[in-house]
Amino acid sequence: MKILKNIRLVSFVAFSQMRVRLKQTIIATVGVVFGVTVFIFLLAYVKGLNGYVQEITLEQTPHLRLYNEPEIATQSILDKVSPGTLNYTHHVKPKSVLPNIKDGLQVIQEIRQDNRVTAVSGSVKTQVFYEVGLSLFNGQITGINYTDENALLNLGTKIQEGSFTELNTMPNSLAMASGLAKKINVHSGDKITVTTPKGDYLTMTVAGIFKTGIPEIDIEQCYAGLSTVQKILAVPPSYITNIKIKLYDKDIAFALSEEYKRKYHCSTSDWMKDNALAFENEAMQNMVVYCVAVCLLLVAGFGIYNILNMMIYEKMKEIAILKAMGFSDDDVRGIILIQSFTIGIIGSLLGLLFGFLISYAISLIPYESELFSAINHLPISFNKAFYILGLSFGILTAFFSGYIPARKAARIDPVYIIRG
Amino acid sequence: MEILRVENLNKHFYTPADFWVLKDLCFSIDKGKLTSITGKSGSGKSTLLYLLSTMDTDFEGSIRINGEEIKGRSNKWLSGFRNTHIGFIFQFHYLLPDFTVLQNVMLPALKQGKYTKEQIEHNAMELLTLLNVKSQSAKRASLLSGGQQQRVAIARALINEPAIIIGDEPTGNLDTSNTHVVLDLFRELTTEKGYTILTVTHDDDFARQSDSVIHLIDGEISK
Ligand SMILES: Nc1ncnc2c1ncn2[C@@H]1O[C@H](COP(=O)(O)OP(=O)(O)OP(=O)(O)O)[C@@H](O)[C@H]1O
Ligand SMILES: [Mg+2]
Repeated sequence: MKILKNIRLVSFVAFSQMRVRLKQTIIATVGVVFGVTVFIFLLAYVKGLNGYVQEITLEQTPHLRLYNEPEIATQSILDKVSPGTLNYTHHVKPKSVLPNIKDGLQVIQEIRQDNRVTAVSGSVKTQVFYEVGLSLFNGQITGINYTDENALLNLGTKIQEGSFTELNTMPNSLAMASGLAKKINVHSGDKITVTTPKGDYLTMTVAGIFKTGIPEIDIEQCYAGLSTVQKILAVPPSYITNIKIKLYDKDIAFALSEEYKRKYHCSTSDWMKDNALAFENEAMQNMVVYCVAVCLLLVAGFGIYNILNMMIYEKMKEIAILKAMGFSDDDVRGIILIQSFTIGIIGSLLGLLFGFLISYAISLIPYESELFSAINHLPISFNKAFYILGLSFGILTAFFSGYIPARKAARIDPVYIIRG
Repeated sequence: MEILRVENLNKHFYTPADFWVLKDLCFSIDKGKLTSITGKSGSGKSTLLYLLSTMDTDFEGSIRINGEEIKGRSNKWLSGFRNTHIGFIFQFHYLLPDFTVLQNVMLPALKQGKYTKEQIEHNAMELLTLLNVKSQSAKRASLLSGGQQQRVAIARALINEPAIIIGDEPTGNLDTSNTHVVLDLFRELTTEKGYTILTVTHDDDFARQSDSVIHLIDGEISK
């Protein structure tokens, strides 16, 4: 009860002093408001954009890939033939292996039964040239089973013109990425001449045009039916070069990739390996954003420190009187800390509010992007964690910047001051 | 009854050079007495008062107030003790300018926390009435005249009914008529209400009218 009374009294003194110095108090508060606002906005903006890019990237990345790659032997044939002697072999070439996965269709069937797997899709890739007038454009066609691939990469939602469904039903039909379509100026329904690696010509029909939002894909990707591509390559229907897998829990991707590697004797890769650069990049960006945000709060904290210091300097005499009247060192420290906490809490809360309002306003502004087709507004993140972080940082800053002045005030020697 | 007892009190200032301000002081003060401290400028009067008010704890010897030894106490204990047992009146009023007159008087009692806010307000108003500044109670302290401020400061010193009231030239910058008002008030407080008052003064009239006088010469009590 007594303690409560004392807290009330100390707060009363603290607030009275702040009321008298309303202007400076407001200025210090505005500093915190600004810091926290920018902190929130910065995170909302950068993380929102990052999150979006990552999301679409991950959507277009299978959790697991199985493929076949020629491997360089670690042991030369000489070592095998005459072991124990010193053999020099330079520039060993890989032995010729077919790029297809052995018993591909069989493997797909087996993986489909695995209850950790949500979707699996086999594909075959081929390089081609698109003949447009007299010019040739380089491109790549991936042969897929549309139903399987759609279950995996959600292709259906990426369509801009026409449709994907013909790929399965109509031979020699093609779905083209929007960037490529624009470059060679075709629309859905158009016919296009394709030169195969074997030098044959083939007329294909553009059934649909799609856009994934990922520039590297949108500039060159084309999909066709599995059998169409197999025909271009002149290989049998069992010929599969790539198996993409989506999992229920993407965190087991690495473990599973090792398992499949052993089981099916092929190369594997997982989504983390495939996106290493993107993740690295994001970590760097995070660091920069947090650094900037912390710097802003430091500046705000310096503002608080400054005003409280000034206040103490001006109120030295009054602090001495309070002490002479029986206020303890702790009470005086409390007065200053309450002042800095008040500035910190009010500033932070207002900062959160403004940060939210600005983020919200930005998220409403229409935004058209060549790259990010799927959105018409900037992707702003409203993650609660940023707000909790902003509040804690704001209050923490206030506490630390109030701490030194508070200690200084508590140490004021009343005799020294009152003597003059 | 003995309120204050000082034994072998010595005080040195060590900066800039060792300076022995108070030399082996011994005296005591009884309850209900008005005592004056006189002496030339620089003789150590203020220094003695700050020691007696427990704000300066750097001394040798013994100071007992209300039976409690001051030497060797923690800062926290001292501030509580000061709050309850000592009323201090400074030479230059030293009210808190951001607070009203009434709040200034109430603050030590609020700090003590012994009574409810209503009771404290009531007591404070009574003191302001006694000191004839009741009409100013709602004003900001900084707006009052010097004499009024000094009276408010006295009211503030009285609010917790302290064992001893210590003043450093409380009439130092008041005119003669105001000095007389304060002097009469001090007389009234000691003889009628039983307060104990110890105050530095340069006013001979004031000293003559007090119950006893401690005269300092170069930090020693002259007999
Ligand atoms: N902090 C200090 N450091 C060193 N010397 C000091 C300090 N404070 C006071 N003194 C010295 O101690 C002596 C006594 O000072 P004090 O203020 O007690 O005098 P006083 O009797 O109150 O004088 P006055 O009547 O002018 O107020 C003086 O010589 C002064 O210079
Ligand atoms: Mg003096």
